This record gives sequence, structure tokens and C-alpha cells, in this order.
Amino acid sequence: MPTIEVDYADFERMLGIELHKDLEKLNDILAFVKGEAKPFDEEEGVISVEIKDTNRPDIWNIEGLARALRGFLGVEKGLRRYTVGKPLAEIYVDSRLRDIRPYIGCSIVKNVKLTDTIIRGFMHLQDKLDQSYGRNRRRTSIGLYDFSLITTPLHYTVTKPTEISFVPLGFEEKLNLKEILERHPKGIEYGYIVSKYPVYPILLDSEKKVLSFPPIINSNDLGRVTEKTRHILVEVTGTMHETVLNTLKIVTLSLIDRGGKAYSAIVHYPHENLEVVTPKLETWFMNLKVGYVNKVLGLQLTARQIAELLGKAGFGVEKIGKGQVTVRVPCYRIDVMHPIDLVEDMAIAYGYNNIKPLWRKLPTTGGVKLEEGSFNVARELMVGMGFQEVLTYTLTNPETLFKKMNCRKERIVEIVNPKVQTLTCLRNWLLPSLMEFLSNNLHIEYPQKIFELGTVMLLDEKRETKTKDEERLAGVIVHANASFSEIKSVLDAFFTNFGLEWRIKEAKHPSFIEGRVGTAIVNGRNVGIMGEIHPKVLEAWNFENPAVAFELNMDRIVKIKQTRRA
Amino acid sequence: MIELRKHERKTLLAIERLGGKASVERIINESGLTDAAVMRAVLTLQERKVVKIHKEKQTIVKLNEEGKFHARKCLPERRLINALKKFGEKAPLKKTVEKAGLEKQFIPIALGWVQKKKWALLNTKTNMLQILGKLEEGKDEKLLKLLGEKEQATVEELSPELQAAVQVLKRRKLLEIEEKTRRVIEITNAGWTAIKKGIKVTTDVTQLTPELVISGKWRKVKLQKYNIRAPVAKTWPGKKHPYLQFLDEVKEKLVTLGFKEMVGPIVETSFFNFDALYTPQDHPAREIFGIYLVKYPKYGNLDAYEHIVEKVKKTHEDGWKTGSTGWRYKYSVKEARRLVLRGHGTCLSVRTLLSKDLEIPGRYFSIVRCYRPEVVDKTHLTEFNQVEGIVVDENLTLRDLLGVLEKFAIEIAGADEVKFRPDYFPFTEPSVELSAYKKGYGWIEFGGSGIFRPEVTMPLGIKVPVIAWGLGIDRLFMMKAGIDDIRYIFTQNLDWIKRKGVV
Repeated sequence: MPTIEVDYADFERMLGIELHKDLEKLNDILAFVKGEAKPFDEEEGVISVEIKDTNRPDIWNIEGLARALRGFLGVEKGLRRYTVGKPLAEIYVDSRLRDIRPYIGCSIVKNVKLTDTIIRGFMHLQDKLDQSYGRNRRRTSIGLYDFSLITTPLHYTVTKPTEISFVPLGFEEKLNLKEILERHPKGIEYGYIVSKYPVYPILLDSEKKVLSFPPIINSNDLGRVTEKTRHILVEVTGTMHETVLNTLKIVTLSLIDRGGKAYSAIVHYPHENLEVVTPKLETWFMNLKVGYVNKVLGLQLTARQIAELLGKAGFGVEKIGKGQVTVRVPCYRIDVMHPIDLVEDMAIAYGYNNIKPLWRKLPTTGGVKLEEGSFNVARELMVGMGFQEVLTYTLTNPETLFKKMNCRKERIVEIVNPKVQTLTCLRNWLLPSLMEFLSNNLHIEYPQKIFELGTVMLLDEKRETKTKDEERLAGVIVHANASFSEIKSVLDAFFTNFGLEWRIKEAKHPSFIEGRVGTAIVNGRNVGIMGEIHPKVLEAWNFENPAVAFELNMDRIVKIKQTRRA
Repeated sequence: MIELRKHERKTLLAIERLGGKASVERIINESGLTDAAVMRAVLTLQERKVVKIHKEKQTIVKLNEEGKFHARKCLPERRLINALKKFGEKAPLKKTVEKAGLEKQFIPIALGWVQKKKWALLNTKTNMLQILGKLEEGKDEKLLKLLGEKEQATVEELSPELQAAVQVLKRRKLLEIEEKTRRVIEITNAGWTAIKKGIKVTTDVTQLTPELVISGKWRKVKLQKYNIRAPVAKTWPGKKHPYLQFLDEVKEKLVTLGFKEMVGPIVETSFFNFDALYTPQDHPAREIFGIYLVKYPKYGNLDAYEHIVEKVKKTHEDGWKTGSTGWRYKYSVKEARRLVLRGHGTCLSVRTLLSKDLEIPGRYFSIVRCYRPEVVDKTHLTEFNQVEGIVVDENLTLRDLLGVLEKFAIEIAGADEVKFRPDYFPFTEPSVELSAYKKGYGWIEFGGSGIFRPEVTMPLGIKVPVIAWGLGIDRLFMMKAGIDDIRYIFTQNLDWIKRKGVV
């Protein structure tokens, strides 16, 4: 979810209405574009707006937000037209970029009046687009340049890492590309995108002056935009042509919104015999059936009403036909993929709170999952025997699961990207979670009796997810005189009340004291383990009192119970 | 004349013998009663205003290991000065240290303190140590000696001088200090009067025994009146976890509303977590900051869904037959098989829509554990429960969606008012956020929802609208439980869970 910083005064100016810093009102307005403002900093005069829609990079800056909102607010209606003037530059693309970063798009915007606020806004937009829509510059990256310092045509080509040197943005000395990757902060951050290739992308003008080293850094000489810059060259490179063109569109439009006049550039891909004129600001058409709209919204709108709502949402209406409206979709609405996207915007323009909710009587029967009833009986029994139910994470670490339980490590479900070193895998048994829980409560009054009915995850090659979730029931009793007979008595009561006959069989388990541990057998099947916790384990968890515990496979127990019943 | 029971009289007289004021421990010793009996008696005596219970702070000091060492050997500066005395008035530092036999770690300490105490001076040029003045035993040494002999002392009972010494030794990190509260019982003026006037012992019976009942003797004895207001020991019943109990109730309400529970695995393929929900394969939510990727095992098996995967692939690439433009990129089936820890309960809805048991019309829900690589703080958990579901039927519209949300707000959150706002999910359009208002609680965001996009339903072979919803029940629980930190849901604080009543 992108969060954008917006200069409040500038925003009001672009919006064309006054909000008197009323946060509630601001949020009512931002709701139209799925935005929400955080309480703002009066001194700085900056508001943070969170945009929920990750698919609308066109509203990730003041210009775009205002463009989208003016229709809803009635300041402006219908489609905003954007035009592009004749080509002012040509760019030649080297075929050797094909597997590295093959696409480029350019536009020239003349007579833009930049202020410090506006420049900061553009840097912010560039950042958001690079990060989110450009997937951290892997997919696309943007560069802005002072057009008056550049001689065309441009050459988007490749070079060896040490062949060309230039002064990167923010530096004073010349560095070659290899040095930039090693020393410049942006080189360190994004270097991995190109460092695997023998040659790196480079953008040069006809005098071989460096514009930038895409997607890493601009030149400090040509690629620095200040309040004095009047004519701007926008350039976007990337791996996906459509995304490159979309990104170029968004930046160019915002510059036009700031009073600039846009001109195109011709991109030559000689090896493919291809010429592409950028930016592409054409609108396109989509047919919307009146019946479809009403079927989705549950309303009875006429074609005319639909046209009206579309106008509020910033769409053009080309034709109102019989049962159908032909919609002109603005070039920047790259999120529109399906007529349903238009329908939602109409519903927003109509106002969700103006639509009457309907609760239909449907002949459905509610119900919980099959095992739920038995699981609840198990929990009730544990509670009845004086155990406190606890809730723990299924994420844990091997030390908790094995080392502290005096067990050998087993294969378990592990995570590539743990957020903390204590949560690196999923538990394959439940008891360690309870031991950990108790170790955090050593000072609490004894006896302590806790239980949990929880999921553990086991490996299972046969299943489609290669894993199996299993419900377990585990309980622990801790006090000065905790003994095997106490826990056995608990299990005896448990099985008896569960309506199952059980017996106990001697067992060995490194977490329990030898000769004081047994498996529970029901219907000839092993359904769990119980016993006195080994002093080694007590020590590992800093227990000063003896503990007795059990862990049962509830899935198996419930299954046995169900087959018995059948 | 005052009437007391046997134990009470004994206790009172024991206090009298102890000078009218004594700690519980001393009363126990003096009276020969058990501690429980003394405590009970003291409470009744207090109730009858013959004694007063004072709580006194008691600070117990003991020597720590290093302190004990010095108690045996004397403080390092004393050892140094003693060695110096053997040389006369003056000697080289090195020689003195050797003579004193000081351990290496204590040399700088000894040197510091002899000078601080003005016992000796070190000439830094000549490195000679010279005795300066009187070498009297300091208060710190007195305390060290005392603690060396008596193991521990109560600070409040020490002389002012030794109390000051406690601070010195504390700063030198030679002490272990423990604070305790001690109860001291004192006879009141009324108590002294009562003792003077004499005490009559009553023969009231405290405990009704089986013997008294069987023999009928209970008729002859007088059953003592209890102080029924006296505090009693706490009982800790076995209880369900407050949050799980709350979830049980939510579940029950959903079932009453006609929703059926769905099931599905925790470790899930990206296909069910993302692809089938029209989330493109390069979406940031699929990167390491958005989802837990499974290291081992790495890939699942989608053979059973071959035809569905094919349709989803086409839908992502060019929209297939859905009327959509699609995401327009090259879809990878291998990426679809990538295993993750499910990031939302919506995977279960996809599985349900694919199930041969799917009923139309149908209402479904799930309450399951979900995972996201978030830094855990007041408002985020990395592992959490989600309540989600779907409604499937012909002719469902946005009005039905709002109807479902309103129903939840009223039935589950007990809301007085609802409000809808536009929302965003990659897999629903239109999407709606639900806010619920409840008197005394204010507005809370209570849910997100939408109608599944055609790009989601059509590849799954679903030809009717599907409403998908999720409820923010954690916020509701937190409000009801009066907590403002989401981490309390998984708290490891047993005391809190035991004390927390039904929410």
C-alpha cells in the first residue's frame, strides 16, 4: 500500500476547493480514490495519504490525486484531454540490451514552472513508481534531465563496467560504472539488477555525454533538475515495454498538469526494424452494457444516469446507445482491465452509502467442520479438569522444538525469510510451545495446569502441498509434587469421558524420564504420549518444579471415534 | 470482659509477653501455634480492634560473593595499608602490593581507596607509597565484619552509621539487597484495657466435623460466627482462552446466519494464495516482504488442477474469455507451485469454489491461522487469525454485499450504525470497507469485502456472482477486552489470561 506525502497548500490549489484542514472532510473526499489521510503535521503543512489501490500509480502524487478527485467533487467533469506535440528527439536502442533492459520511452516537456515543492513532489513520485510499480527498479526506472543541455539523437546502449566515467548525481568526482556500483549509495542498493551482466546499460547524447547509467543513477551534469530548469526530458527504461510506457505516461501527464507542453520522441529499435513514438497518450474505448451495470449493482440506472456517473469518475462518454454506453477511457487509467472496473467507479460516484443493503433469505444451512464438535468436547474436558487454555504461535525455531526438548533435529517446514530468528519454522509438535509458555511464567502461583488444542505441520510428500496439518491436544502440569500418576489420571478421565477405551504402553522418548513415559493406545493405534518431563528438559526451560505432560493426536482420535460410531 | 477463642487469647497474650508489639514470626515462636492459626487469630483480633497490623518495609542486606571474600580477607585497601605498615612509613608500590598478596583485579581498587580514605599517598614520579594519617576502622569495615559474622542484617535495625555504610558497600557492589514487607502486630489501647480486665475463653466450635454431626454433639456446642468478610485464598478455575472463547462465539453466530465452515492447508501453493485470486506473479505482495516463502519443501504439486491452472494462466496473460485485458506477462506454472505460508483465508474460498461439494446458493466461512512477515508491534502480528468467507448465488449484487456486511456489523459487532467506503483488493471489484459504530466504543473498521472479479470466478468454472468478505474481529476483541495492544491475543502472560474474565 503506497503512502504518499502531499503538500497541503499545493493540494488544495490543484484540487480547486478549500478544505480548511478538516481531516474528516479530507478523508471523505479521499475515500473516492481509496485513500486515507493520517493526522497531519500543521507545521510542515504536509499530509500523508495512504492509497489502498496498488494498481493506480496514476494517483501516487498531488497532480494525479487532484486529477482523479476533481470529477468526483464536481470541479471538472468527464475526460481530461492530453495532447503531445511533434517529436523533438530520437533515440537509438542497442540490440545488446535485449536480455538486460531492452525498452526505453522518452518525452520532452517544455515551459514547466518548477518550484521547490513541485520538484520534491516529482522526486517523491519517481521514488514511489520506481519502488512499487517499477518493482524496485527491476521492471522500470525513471530519469529526468535538463533538455537544454542535451544534444539529440540519444543512444541507449551498453558499455563495459570500466570504460566510461561520469560524475553521478550527488557526487563531485568522476566514477566509472564499476566504481558507482561499489561506492554510490544507489549503486550499492540497486547494483544487483545489472551486476550479473558483462556489460551495463548507458544512456548517451550525440556528443557522448552521459545522461545516466540506468537503472542506477543520473549524471550530475545533465540529470539534475532545479527550479531554473524549463525544459525537461523524461526517460524510462525497463524490462516490460508496456510498463515502461505507462510509467512515462504518468510522469509526463503530471508535468503537463504543471503547465508544461509535451513533445514526443521517436525510439528506434533497428535490430527489430521497429519505431515507437513515445509517450502514448491516446484514450481507448470500452462498451458498457446497461444491463450488466444494473446486474452488478442491483440498481435500475438508465443509460443517461450511467453516463452521468461515468463523467463524475473522469471517463468520457462517446455514445449513449440503446442499452449500451460507449466509454472513452483516459490514457492514464491503466488499472481498467474489464468493464467491472468501470462499474466500481460508477458505484463510488453514486455513493456506496446511497445504496440500500439487502439481506436475502437463502436456503443455506450453517455448520462447523466435521471434527469441531469433538474438539470442543476435548477442550471442555480439559477445562473441567482445571486446565487453563492457552494460545501460542505455530511459528517457532529448531532450538525450541528439539534442543531444549532433548530431541534430535528432524526435517520440518522452514521459512526462507523469517522476520526474527526465533520464528524460523513451523512446529511439528505442540508440547514445546507449552513448555516455552510456562518458562515465561515461572514466578506465577503453582500448581500450573495449562493446555492447548493446536495445529502442528508435518511433511507429507504424497500431498499436493507436501505437508499435512494435524490437530494436537497437549497439556502440562507443574508443581512440586507433579507425578506420572497425576497425568495418567487426567488422560484416563479424558478418554473415559470421550467414550473411548484406552491402554498405556511403555515407551521411550528423550523429553521424558525413562520408565516414566508411555504411549496411549486406542483401537490398537498410537494416539499420543505422556509422562514425566526429563530433568534435562526442565533445566533447559529453567523450571524449578517437576512437570508432567501429554500430547495427543486429536485428528486420529476423532477419526477412531467417528468410525466407531458408524 | 472480652470473649476470645482459645487461639486468639494465646496469640494476644504472646504479643503481650513480647512487649505488646511483634512480628508474626515471633508470635508463632512465642505462642507455639501454627502460622495459619496465628494469622487467622490476628485477623479476628484486628477486627475486634484489640490489635493493629502494621506493614513495615524491611530491607535485608547480605554480602555477595565478592563481599564474602573481603569479609574473610579484609577490604583490599586495608590489606594494602597493613602491608605498607610492615615496611614502616613508606615503600615502593610494587613491593607493597606483593607483600599484601593482592589479587590482580583488586590492585586498582585498593590503590584508589587508600587514597580516597586519605590513608596513604602515591607519589606518581617515584611510585612510592607513603602513609598519611590515622588508620582507624571505617564504618564500611564495621558493616563488612558484622555481615561476615551474621550473614544478613535488616537495614532498618542498623545504627545510622552502619546504614550509611550500607550505601558505601552497595556502591562498591559488595551487597545483595532484598526488600520485604514484614507484618508487625501491635496491641491497641483497647487491647491493653481488655487484657487488664481479663479475657474469657469461649468454647465456640470453629469447624463442624463429621464426628459432631454423627454423634449429635452439634446440638450442645456453639458454632462460631465467622468473619464472612475476611479475604479468602484465590481459586483459579480451568478456563478457555478469552480470545478463543470469543472466536467460538463468532463462529456460532456465523453458523446461525447459515454459514458453513471451510477447511484448507496452512502451507499453500502460490496458486491458491495468489494466482487463482488474480494477483500477478510479480506483485510485491509475493516478495519476501509480503509473504513467508517456504524453504523446505519448496514446491507443491498442482497436477490435480491442470485444467484450472491453464485457464488461470491464460487469464493472467491475456484475459482468456473473461472480457479482461489480463495482466499481459508470461505466466509461470513453476511459480504457481511455489509453497508459501498462507497470507489470508481467501485460499480456502478458492478451494471451496473448486470443490465438488460446492452448494449454490451457498454461504461459507473460515476462521484460520494466517501468516505475514510483519514486524510484531502494537498493531501487527506475524501470525494471526482471519475470519473470512463467501456467499455464492445467482443474481447477487452490490446490494447483497452491503447487506451481508450490515448483518455482520449488527449480529457480530452489535453495531448501532454502519458506513461503507471504497476498498481495494486485487481479486474483488467492486470492493467495500465496512465501518461499524457502537455506542461506547466509537467507529471501528470492521471488515473488507467485494465481489470476486470475473478473472477470478470464470477460470474456476463459477458462473454466478461470489461475494467475498473478511472481518476485522481482532479489533473488536481488543475493544471488548479493553486492550490496546494486539500482542495480548497471543500473550504468554499466564496471570493475565487467568484473571481475564469472559469478553
